[in-house]
Amino acid sequence: MNCAKCKELLVGYIEGLLDESQNRAVAGHLKDCASCRAETAQLNELQDRLVTNGEVLAGSDLEDGVMNQIIREQKTRLKASSEVGRKQNIWRVIMKSRITQLAIAAAIIIVVFIGLHSIGNPFGATVTFAKVIEPILNARTVVLDFIVGSEETGPVMHDIIVGSRIRRTFSNMETILILDLDNAKMLTLGPSDKGAIYMDIKGPLQEGTRSYLGLVRDIVAKIEDNPNIPVQELGEREIDGREAIGFYVSDIELTIWADLETALPIRIELLQGQTQTIIKNIEFDVPVDESLVSMDVPAGYTLNEEEQDWTEFNEQDFIVVLRVWAEYVLGGRFPDNISLEDLMNLTSQLTNMAPRTEDEADQLGMSEEEQAQLGMSFGRGFVFFQQLEPSGADWHYVGKGVEFGDASTAVFLYRPKGSDTYRVIYGDLHVEDSAPEDLPK
Amino acid sequence: MSESDTYYIERCLDGHPDDFRHIVRRYQAVLLAHLAGKLGNREAAEEAAQESFVRAYFGMEKLREPRKFFSWLLGIADHVVKECQRKEQLQRQREIVRSFSQEAVSPELSQDYALESAIAELPDAYRKIVLLRYYGGHSCNRIAERFDMPLGTVTKTLSRAYAMLRKTLQQQAEVYEV
Repeated sequence: MNCAKCKELLVGYIEGLLDESQNRAVAGHLKDCASCRAETAQLNELQDRLVTNGEVLAGSDLEDGVMNQIIREQKTRLKASSEVGRKQNIWRVIMKSRITQLAIAAAIIIVVFIGLHSIGNPFGATVTFAKVIEPILNARTVVLDFIVGSEETGPVMHDIIVGSRIRRTFSNMETILILDLDNAKMLTLGPSDKGAIYMDIKGPLQEGTRSYLGLVRDIVAKIEDNPNIPVQELGEREIDGREAIGFYVSDIELTIWADLETALPIRIELLQGQTQTIIKNIEFDVPVDESLVSMDVPAGYTLNEEEQDWTEFNEQDFIVVLRVWAEYVLGGRFPDNISLEDLMNLTSQLTNMAPRTEDEADQLGMSEEEQAQLGMSFGRGFVFFQQLEPSGADWHYVGKGVEFGDASTAVFLYRPKGSDTYRVIYGDLHVEDSAPEDLPK
Repeated sequence: MSESDTYYIERCLDGHPDDFRHIVRRYQAVLLAHLAGKLGNREAAEEAAQESFVRAYFGMEKLREPRKFFSWLLGIADHVVKECQRKEQLQRQREIVRSFSQEAVSPELSQDYALESAIAELPDAYRKIVLLRYYGGHSCNRIAERFDMPLGTVTKTLSRAYAMLRKTLQQQAEVYEV
């Protein structure tokens, strides 16, 4: 046996793993070779050191320490989860209150602020386009379907517009809204429990709301006044089963399709920032029962005494929305996405809940008024979100996968128009100001 | 007769948390050896080992292959080490600021810190086998079985690990002599 072979077998030899003939061979070589004997001695020494150290460490006993810590932590976790459960319950009861449900449904008002000041490219107005927009300007009644988000999945609002009044119903919830834009009032009706409430929508909401068609009216009127707005013809195509001709106003991402024979608009698409809306099935000057847009409380409905104030809404209201959504609806995590379409779906989810029982209301330990405040705050939070884009704010939702309570991860950030810094809302719902270059991510 | 890791893990997940004791007993020395070399302080290593076990316990549901518990545990421990080191660094900075004239408090070393830190420097594959052999009380045969490798590979790995350990220990000794 040579030294190389011996070294190769040495560990096996020391460990007693060699067969008899190998064992003999190694032992024989060691007898003759001083260098390999020295090597063996060193190996033995290292091994002893390892064994001794192993014994020392084995003497320490972590068992009880670990088990005690596990029990302690188990307890805190249980407490935390029952805490979450309790909070969830609070929101469940609040969301089931009638006033809250009316407030939430009312919050879905499409708020549109579009400035036309940016428009100014040279353009030769076409006679055809003017013809198309004429009925929009002059019609007394308009009936239409309004889709938020994708045409396949987005909830549909059905609008009956008479002058400055709108009756609005929804495909995914039964609440009825009647808006009086001249007087900045809104009447919300809940057919299932026959509840009714008036809301003051003076201020930004009134300014921005209008009916959607009112907006289009505005745009169209301004286009008429200003021959410099570029309108692009999209040619003829079949739209919703009718031969149609299309026009596209690129500056405001507005597309209008009109019936080729009657020149009446049948479909309008508008992309506002991250929100796509479609108006279709438009009919002009159809006879409408005017009592449908009456601001009087219908027979059989109970009016809620307090008029709700919707003249202002702020970030804190929006934070209530995030809280309810993450903590209560999704049980501790933030939604994957926030869009108007998502909000409408959330709304229908919340308004379609069974009404609460007396017991539930009692358990809450909050006055009716406090609950109404929270419910309203939630509704106003919706409006806050809806007006972000039209008001010219830059916003981003980054909460996908974030756990509720995570103070180090941002979920939502926005920069109000004219502001140098962003407001950043974190997973525990605290808010920080941040310069654009310091933004998380 | 002690059961496999998988058995105990399933028992824990099944609502018998006390069976985690067996796991702690099985791996505490291994984990301490793994940590002591990295942290250089017996007390810190014990704390980190305890923390690693607790995290392993609460993270068990995420362990997809219970068979790989040991490697997974070492991964958790490495994470804990990083956190400790970050904390320690902060503390050291604070201490330096507080008392730069006073002599730094030397960390309380475990009996054979040189050896432990040499083990900590071993590449993963070697370290695992050394840890199991001397701190986990595994025979070479059992290690071979566990990692599904020929016995010859285990002894060769050990042989190379010894060579590396000796080299590191020698270098350390030289540094201290100078």
